[in-house]
Amino acid sequence: MGVIRAQPARVTDWAAGSVGAAWRAFDLQLTTYAALLVAVGLVMAYTNSVESGSLPLEAGTTFGRGLMWAGIAVVVFVLATVFDYHWLKTLAWPIYALQLGLLVVTLAIGSGIGGSARWVSIGPFTFQFSEIAKILMIIVLAGYLAAREGRLDSLASLLGACFLVGPPLVLVMLQPDLGTSLVFAAILAGMLWMSGASLRWLTALAVGVLAMIPLAWTYLLRDYQKARLTSFLDANPDIQGAGYQLHQAQIAVGSGGIIGKGLTNGTQTQGDLLPVQATDFVFATLAEELGFIGGVVLFVLFVLLLWRVLVAGWRSRDAFGTLFAAGVASMVLFQLVVNVGMVLGVMPITGIPLPFVTHGGASLVSMAAGLGILQSINIRQSRAAW
Amino acid sequence: MSVFLGDRPKPVRSLSRFLAFALIAIISVSGLTARLFYLQIVDGGRLATLAVRNQTVIDAIKSPRGVILDRNGRALVANVPNFVVKLRPSDLPLDQRLVVVDRLAALLGMSAADINATVDGNPGSAFDLVRIAEDVDEDTARLISEAGDELPGVEVDVEARREYTDGPLMSQILGYTGPVSGEQLKTLKDAGYLPDDLIGKVGIEARYESQLRGVYGSESVQRNASGRRTQVLRTIAEPRPGDSLTLTIDTKEQGYAQKALLWAMKKVGIKRGVVIVMNPQTGEVLALVSLPTYDNNVFARGISNASYAKLLNNPDKPLLNHATQAHYPPGSTYKLVAGTGVLADKKISATTKVRTRGYLTLGSTRFYEWNHRGFGACDIYCGFGHSSDTFFFQMAGKLGIDRLGYWANRYGFGQPTGIDLPGEVSGIVPSNAWKQNALGSRILPGETYQAGIGQGYDVVTPIQLINAYAALANGGTLHQPQIVREIVGPDGTVVQPFAPKVLRKAVAPASVLRTMRNAARRTVTLRHTWNLVDLPIKVAGKSGTAEFGTRDSKGRLPFHSWFVGFVPKDPRHGSFNGTGSELVALAFAYDSRTKGNVATEIVKYYMQLHFGIKKDYRLPGLLKRGNFYQSN
Repeated sequence: MGVIRAQPARVTDWAAGSVGAAWRAFDLQLTTYAALLVAVGLVMAYTNSVESGSLPLEAGTTFGRGLMWAGIAVVVFVLATVFDYHWLKTLAWPIYALQLGLLVVTLAIGSGIGGSARWVSIGPFTFQFSEIAKILMIIVLAGYLAAREGRLDSLASLLGACFLVGPPLVLVMLQPDLGTSLVFAAILAGMLWMSGASLRWLTALAVGVLAMIPLAWTYLLRDYQKARLTSFLDANPDIQGAGYQLHQAQIAVGSGGIIGKGLTNGTQTQGDLLPVQATDFVFATLAEELGFIGGVVLFVLFVLLLWRVLVAGWRSRDAFGTLFAAGVASMVLFQLVVNVGMVLGVMPITGIPLPFVTHGGASLVSMAAGLGILQSINIRQSRAAW
Repeated sequence: MSVFLGDRPKPVRSLSRFLAFALIAIISVSGLTARLFYLQIVDGGRLATLAVRNQTVIDAIKSPRGVILDRNGRALVANVPNFVVKLRPSDLPLDQRLVVVDRLAALLGMSAADINATVDGNPGSAFDLVRIAEDVDEDTARLISEAGDELPGVEVDVEARREYTDGPLMSQILGYTGPVSGEQLKTLKDAGYLPDDLIGKVGIEARYESQLRGVYGSESVQRNASGRRTQVLRTIAEPRPGDSLTLTIDTKEQGYAQKALLWAMKKVGIKRGVVIVMNPQTGEVLALVSLPTYDNNVFARGISNASYAKLLNNPDKPLLNHATQAHYPPGSTYKLVAGTGVLADKKISATTKVRTRGYLTLGSTRFYEWNHRGFGACDIYCGFGHSSDTFFFQMAGKLGIDRLGYWANRYGFGQPTGIDLPGEVSGIVPSNAWKQNALGSRILPGETYQAGIGQGYDVVTPIQLINAYAALANGGTLHQPQIVREIVGPDGTVVQPFAPKVLRKAVAPASVLRTMRNAARRTVTLRHTWNLVDLPIKVAGKSGTAEFGTRDSKGRLPFHSWFVGFVPKDPRHGSFNGTGSELVALAFAYDSRTKGNVATEIVKYYMQLHFGIKKDYRLPGLLKRGNFYQSN
């Protein structure tokens, strides 16, 4: 098993470079796209708050909480940007321990619907530690793989990465939170891909995972999980059971048309016909109220964001930066496709939030931390003519 | 490309892998865009229609159910508020069901298994409400409705529930309402019945369901995802309240009848009995008691499976109305048929004397007189008055089984009377055709003898028997017995006024019936039915002792007791030549086995109560139980 080597942090980088140089290296585009996505999320939170009949700025509304979390996210983003990402390589093992600790705590004291343990209450807030664990996982994997630079196409590196991801993935699955554990798998796959892992071993791994699916289906998944996973495949879905949200979501999306019904005018969401419209099904509200155009604008924002993330990875002079960007890009892409795909009825129902947009503090804060680290990577490279 | 590689190590990055990743991203997002395009633009119109439908639903406005009054305007049922806990399965996510059902069970004090069984057995679809608990107390109802989102799919409705003023006293007549069954719903859905609806299950509640129910209105309402109504948009149609019914039943008479029957049943230890009281002039049923019975309020409040099973398994069938839904051998009361038949067919005249003996022989079989001695030469008065078996064996022989059956049919036997209570059975009038059909052979001469005295194949319902004697008492008009006198609309107008319903104008010639009425009085005056002689009112009638079942060690059969009697228009001084009788009463005691005829004692006690006779003429000594079969 590989060892994550502690590298002496080059604090001098920051000190040596002028603030002006750092500002020029800062990717304003990346931040802008992210900010726009967060704004879309706040607009959705606003429209949902108005629909549920409360004043948008009233304490405790979706919108109010969204604003609060956006504020916290900005702080986290700035701190992560200022923080020298090289330290992360040094701290990789403690971070891994922290990640596992958070997940164990969630399992031990977490609460959720129907006997699950997903949310942990801290004072007045409930927090989903598995969201934080995703970013921590990217840091740990990037540190591990970067340390094995030069041997990344070996089977050992690939297996080592798998062993690192295994424990948190299982802990999340035990909550049970199938969706988030799949995100871990997607992060692993994306980062291995970008690390230049041998295509042969990647293929072998993929075949192995596929072979495991029937076993997992039989022994691991609970009935309701199976029902959710398969309901989107059903031509005549059980619209009162597992397929209910799906059915309602598609009606909401479809009734939006080209330009939508206008903000706060969504009849499906206004009539509260669509459950959890503020969280995992937020895209349904968006599509109903802002229409096809709104949906496409959202997709374009995501594509641009992904572009800037990949650019940051490409520009990074060290493997850690490249791999970290790969992890963030994989996570955002996977969550985007699965979440929106779920609302559109082409992906199984899993509780995966839409990055930046879904109202949910932990998700937003962990995305902010991820982008902050990316900016830290950006401003700590010498300027490339890219 | 970078020109400042300098001394830095070449980073891990492969352009092809980056491009492949970007390609995957672009393909995925394009796929999502295509799907969004399909849903919103290609399929958008259809889904938009669904969305509008989704948002507003048409809900029924239930109409207040009509009330039921006795003939004096006394309310027999009231609609009282009822908190009903219901569940809409589609709004209860599968993964929460366990928790929600457990919580609900704890709040309602029910078992989770019962709730699950109710939910799984619900007649409608998963979108329809299922009734979980009726008559929940107000505090619990409030707790549940305030729990709101913690109990997804659960709601509390305030509905009207039936509260029956007199409970068991009227249960056999009124019946009760209960949740519509899946089977019923299939046929009633088009009539506007809802899966969580109530419907009259038995009795008057069932028979007059459409009148009592009224017509449900409808309104357009907005519903949210939890199925809760958020807003009423508009009323489409106002509900029309149900009609109310005025019964022919007199609560006071019903009470007397039940009191008389209960007294005897308790005294003797009889398990089943019937008392019916009618007005022969109109066919109105003044009292109808069938015991054992049940409390319809228990059903209206939602009976538990255990209590219902207990009622179902009771061997004396408390859920059955023994007056209309069961038939029994009539015994000597049936001699009315043979007597009427021979006179009307002119086989004998009112003065013809026929020799009665200790027994008659048919082939090698002896057909015994009940006292094994006979009554000498007897005319119809003597034969009927002494209830002579050998007299009526001969009369049945003169008529033949088919002619006997004809006269039985004239009196209304062998077919339902048409009383407005559901589930009436028709009894059996044996004939050659009937036996050929049912048993594959012709009637034997001995069977004709037996049929003449109401034994053998003959079976009748108590309501048929009293109706036949009512026709005798009123001079020959066979009425359809009625329980509902008037139907009154919600605005007080009479929708259906009372009118006697005549099934047959003349059962037999008037002179024949006058003879039979006097013969029926002779049963008392000849002191055959001597326990009625001393009464200050004049009762004519006929007792019956009907054997059934299997013989005991001494060769004796258990038997039922019957008595059906009527009084003249002027009960104290009138004559049975007249046809103005306004009161006929019947008592039936199942498996009575008493020394004297217990049914006669029951009718006597009823008459005492009815006429307010102060002196008590009851003879409890006659009610000693044992196998005392000797007279019919």
